[in-house]
Amino acid sequence: MSTYIQIDPTQKLDPFKAVKKLPLEEYFTSGHRTCQGCESALVMKMMAKAAGPRTIVLGSTGCMYVANTTYYSTSWVLPWMHTQLGSSGSAALGTAAALKALMRKGKMKKEPINVIAFCGDGGGADMGVGAISATLTHPDYNCLILMYDNESYANTDIQLSGSTPWGANTTFSTPGKVKRIMHRRWKKNMAGMMAAGHPTCRYVATVCMSYALAGMNAMRKALSIGGPTFIHSLDPCPKGWDYDPYLSHEMGELAVNTGVWPLYEVEDGVLRLTGRTQQIAAGKIKRQPVRDYLLKQGRFAHFTNDDIDYFQSKVDEMWGKWLVPGVIPFQREVEADNPPA
Amino acid sequence: MGRLFAIEIIYRGIFQKTLATRLSRSIVLAAHQEGKMGISFGRYGDSPERNGIPAKNFAIVATDEQTLQEGMAKYEPKQVDVTIAVDDTLCKGVESWAWYGLQPVNRLLKPGGTLIVTSREGPDAIIAMAHRKETPYNLAIVKGTVSFSGLWVYKDDHTDVRILGAIAKVLPDLFSLTSVQKVIMDQWKDAIKAESAARAYERIGTTTVRTDQGNPEVPYKFDFPKWHEMGEGIAIPSIPAGRNMEDPVSHVHGGFQPDRNPTFKKFSTRTMRPVVNFDTCIKCTLCWLHCPDSCFDVTPEGLYDANMQACCGCGVCEAVCPVKECVTMVNETEFGDNASQWEAWRNDKEGYQAWLAKKIESHPERSHGFRYRGQYEEQVPEMLEIARKG
Repeated sequence: MSTYIQIDPTQKLDPFKAVKKLPLEEYFTSGHRTCQGCESALVMKMMAKAAGPRTIVLGSTGCMYVANTTYYSTSWVLPWMHTQLGSSGSAALGTAAALKALMRKGKMKKEPINVIAFCGDGGGADMGVGAISATLTHPDYNCLILMYDNESYANTDIQLSGSTPWGANTTFSTPGKVKRIMHRRWKKNMAGMMAAGHPTCRYVATVCMSYALAGMNAMRKALSIGGPTFIHSLDPCPKGWDYDPYLSHEMGELAVNTGVWPLYEVEDGVLRLTGRTQQIAAGKIKRQPVRDYLLKQGRFAHFTNDDIDYFQSKVDEMWGKWLVPGVIPFQREVEADNPPA
Repeated sequence: MGRLFAIEIIYRGIFQKTLATRLSRSIVLAAHQEGKMGISFGRYGDSPERNGIPAKNFAIVATDEQTLQEGMAKYEPKQVDVTIAVDDTLCKGVESWAWYGLQPVNRLLKPGGTLIVTSREGPDAIIAMAHRKETPYNLAIVKGTVSFSGLWVYKDDHTDVRILGAIAKVLPDLFSLTSVQKVIMDQWKDAIKAESAARAYERIGTTTVRTDQGNPEVPYKFDFPKWHEMGEGIAIPSIPAGRNMEDPVSHVHGGFQPDRNPTFKKFSTRTMRPVVNFDTCIKCTLCWLHCPDSCFDVTPEGLYDANMQACCGCGVCEAVCPVKECVTMVNETEFGDNASQWEAWRNDKEGYQAWLAKKIESHPERSHGFRYRGQYEEQVPEMLEIARKG
């Protein structure tokens, strides 16, 4: 990295060694208005725990804004501020820059403070992708952008987003009698895009909070490495995915074990598959069939066997044909794509 | 001036959204069969709904247009003729999304109005759950397994039509059974559903609930801040960091109890609650770590006590617990208070084990939506059979 860039020191956040060594304190606590079994609320809790008390959190519109802070009441222990739907990137950068300027001018004590901006998949992958991209090109500001991805605009009752998987039932893609599959686009590869497109960004990771320790350690690394960083978290959503809330934890595990959700980190340009994904790639464990994942969710209840096979073939493609399996969707030869009619 | 009818449907957000919509819509359509006009709507403050958090739908019907207009120009009616609670645990109180505190389930009922509840419990259990009311009201139970499904797949277990049949009996001025059956046939073309409505009509009985019956507790509430107390830029004070816990027996301090949002407690979202066997707990931390609602207090000896003011009953703790029957979800109807299980255990371990065994034994399974494809098809015949037996 060029020498003229002035990075402030970050907090020293060593990885947590074991779940039993985790701090007991909660910085995001009870009394939020989320669904039973909300995994995104769990991500907020883990994020706050991983970052610790010297942290500023900015949240763009979405479930984690509306459920946690409306009606003059909150469950945040950390200082938190709302920002508009598409502006998590700008808010993170602006806050980091402001802290830097205030400290330089002596108006604030010099100390490393974590800046985290979170956004949902609607606020991040759809509306905020420009601002997030811009922020990731500014290497001299320390901030983390965390995208909690529940695969739809869940707050406003499940409209499809750029992150919704193929074929899923949403308010905008209700299956009909004549046309069964009303959503024919594939999920945006947000983490891959951020990692591939931003050489100045030192850390990009995908996480799933069913694997809590790894997820929190990814957040700690993202906050302490320096410069802007990006984390994409897949959050099973009992409301929009339509499953019994007690399955929330299992649904995250299934997403990883079926290979639908690859876990990886890109640190200073070096890709490392992590956790179960690494074991799958190394051939130590077999990928579970996606059928196990799809049939547990009401949003796929209209799928025929052909649809399930097609979904499976696309996941197989991701692992067998992509140049960087699970991460970058380039292929040497493009084959014909034949979704079921 | 004509007559105004108001009916409220209290339901579990998302889980019973389709059920509540079908009900309030069909109520208006059935009344329309008899020349009345009406409107069916959801309470604005309950949207966006969250799984399990209580929500309300209303059906407002009038004999003429002017009365209807007068009756519907409200956020929610001041009084209702019939309150329908489509889940019996709602009788413990309704803390909706939108900042009201805990409201008694019978709060809006007119003197002499009827509370219709779907439940497998008898009247005594339901009356004990509901808060006391200053005027007598009637209770009618539509016997059956409580109907839960999700946003996309509806479980058609006849709960909707059975309640419609019950309304025709308890409020005959609104509509007759014939109108209900006509609406059922128009909408779903299902003679078996029409028959279910007739059976509910014949079977439904009411019990009068006196003013000295019910839960005597004052439901928790809080003071709304005045406009001049509100901070600049809508700044809200954050939650304090939390504190150590104190052991009720040894008075040792330790562990951690987080402070919690004082204006939204979420426990009325719960339909099942975890009971914890502290003697078999291996302190693996998983329930505490994976609870999305941070409801576990960490005790001085490192056990995890599910705080019943904060638990919303999702069941993730039971799902992640590696020890058999260490954390078990039990039907919320089995409990009368929100007391700490850990304190009970500390004070009397044997007594606690006996209590625990009894609770675990009595847990009728409650399904909270879609678990696998084909599940509803398996459940519905059994639910219909229970309904048929009454």
